[in-house]
Amino acid sequence: MARTVKRWLVLLAAVSLLLVNAVPAAASPAPYESYNYNYWKEAVPSPDAYLPERTISGRDLGISEFKDPGDVNVSPSGSIYILDSGNGRIVVLDPGFKLLRVIDGFMMEGIKETFNLPGGLFVDEEERIYVADTGNSRVVVLDGEGTLIQTITKPESDILSTQFQFQPLKLTVDHVGRVYVVAQGVYEGIMQFDESGKFIGYVGTNKVERDYGEYIWRMLSTKAQRAQMVLFVPTEFSNADIDHKGFVYATNIDPGSNEPIKRLNPSGEDVLKRFGYYDVKGDIRFRNNPGPSKLIDVKVLGNGMYSVLDATQNRVFTYDDEGHLLYIYGGKGNQVGTLKTPVAIEQSGEHHLVLDRGKNNLVVYEPTRFGARVNEAVALHYRGEDTEAVNIWREVLKLNANYDIAYIGIGKSLLMEKKNEEALGYFELGMDRKSYSVAFKRHRREMMKEHFGTFLTAAIALIVILILTRVAVKWRRRRQVDREAGFH
Amino acid sequence: MKQDFIKFPLHLIFHPIDAFWDLKSDNRGRLLVAYATLALTIVMMILQKQYAGFLVNYIDPRTINSIIEIATVAVPFFLWCTANWAVTTLMEGEGKFREIVLATGYSLIPIILIYAPMIVISRFMVQEETAFYYLFNSIAFFWFVLLLFIGMMTVHQYTVIRTIITMVLTLIVMGIIVFLGALVFSMLQQLYEFGYNIYRELIFRT
Repeated sequence: MARTVKRWLVLLAAVSLLLVNAVPAAASPAPYESYNYNYWKEAVPSPDAYLPERTISGRDLGISEFKDPGDVNVSPSGSIYILDSGNGRIVVLDPGFKLLRVIDGFMMEGIKETFNLPGGLFVDEEERIYVADTGNSRVVVLDGEGTLIQTITKPESDILSTQFQFQPLKLTVDHVGRVYVVAQGVYEGIMQFDESGKFIGYVGTNKVERDYGEYIWRMLSTKAQRAQMVLFVPTEFSNADIDHKGFVYATNIDPGSNEPIKRLNPSGEDVLKRFGYYDVKGDIRFRNNPGPSKLIDVKVLGNGMYSVLDATQNRVFTYDDEGHLLYIYGGKGNQVGTLKTPVAIEQSGEHHLVLDRGKNNLVVYEPTRFGARVNEAVALHYRGEDTEAVNIWREVLKLNANYDIAYIGIGKSLLMEKKNEEALGYFELGMDRKSYSVAFKRHRREMMKEHFGTFLTAAIALIVILILTRVAVKWRRRRQVDREAGFH
Repeated sequence: MKQDFIKFPLHLIFHPIDAFWDLKSDNRGRLLVAYATLALTIVMMILQKQYAGFLVNYIDPRTINSIIEIATVAVPFFLWCTANWAVTTLMEGEGKFREIVLATGYSLIPIILIYAPMIVISRFMVQEETAFYYLFNSIAFFWFVLLLFIGMMTVHQYTVIRTIITMVLTLIVMGIIVFLGALVFSMLQQLYEFGYNIYRELIFRT
């Protein structure tokens, strides 16, 4: 008997060894290392959320190679518009990445006009193409076939100086046709034009970060010295996108800013939620050399999520609507999936597209099981369907046991179901002190309600016993005193 | 026994001016009590980091190290005593080294008395109530500073201004001692390296 058991054990051990060796530990097909930040602001390894699927270059499409492509946009119907700036053309692809058509100019007043180093484009629901034609100082609005609808040129306004150069770089359009333009050298904010191309004003200004050392230095300097100093001007925006509610997401490249991403409401105030453990600013820890993230594009993904593109480390950071960092992918390099000079990020269905100016191609990323599950759970949570989200969060935890957001998500759902005590453990794992406090308050009240009677009985009993012992001690002492006095 | 080890220390923290005088003149202080308070303070610090409630405990559990906790309390304690003795000797303080250790040790009592229940209570607090936790911890700290101040004043028979000056000087001297210590340590290390290198050379050449 003992022998068979032993033999089986040996066999089991041998099989387990084989199985361990069968799966290599580092089998990640990604050319980059995915990571995420934990509560202690350490970068910890994470499963890949997105993997490169393919790249698309001009040759793949059967046309000449891209030259310095500047922007990419996916229309609501799914067509992919690539702005091939160096060649002054717009390449239109269908959702399956097949070439539909190429727009390399338009007819204006009977003359064929071309683009001159355009910087950005946007396509609205009616397939109208808005192009920021930087070199020609105008915004061109075309219909889907490439016929001119209108142009927006240098605005005439009292608040603009006469030397003002209108050089639109990036733009986005809301559902009523207002155009938001990020223009070069404009510090006042994002320029807003109405649907007929009339200048309305600016929205959202970046605050000047005050440097007190510099401030004192400035006070001590002479006028001539001061004239040579750098001016403190707000930083420019680098890009903008719009969500379905009409809020403009904008990024700036101020290296010192802790709020490089803004969500502007219609009156231009920043209403981005920042409830995560750390600032919404890309990398929060970096060696001195690369420095903070330089965010150059933002894409609203829907369900409150948004991705930003970092040009320092060429990575994509995705956040949920509350400002939690969901996942990071991408990196510097020359392989498929790493990026040389990324300029724009887009979403096409489940895929993410990153336009790489350095390699003149479009990189298509597809979500892994982990990434897809996270997206799904965040979407459910955003819609308030936390109970459905729990199962997906549990699956996410199987793929990444360090995923704090999943713990918090499960905890919140348990809290809804009034399972306060169980929720406590999850909130502690997710290090969410605020929710923990809520759960604990309820749990404490429940416990008090349940045990108040017992507690009171015990307390009264204790008091009675204390009084009795006291009386007994006193009585005894008096007796002793009496005895010594010879009363007994 | 009970008188010296429980009643007098408790009396001291509420009536410091009288009690510190008794400690000095009537020889009421016990070194054992002073070292016990030091040890208990260290224990409280460790317990607080380990067991304080989740809502007030921002310590990364991976960084808790009892040896370091002991060092962060005991080293400043003895540094303070040494530096204070050095300063007050020069500044006509009447306190002996033993009395300085006693006064410093006895001053730590409120920290123990407040930390112990607060660690337990903090486990039953919600976010809004954590303010009390921080309040009581600061009370403990200020009580300690006040006792230390009165202790120093009584032990050395100083005026208020002179006590403040000596306490500040003590802090500076503490810094100097640390600096000199580091200097000596690094020099010793270099001497050792030098000797070791010569030894290695000799070994390789032969």
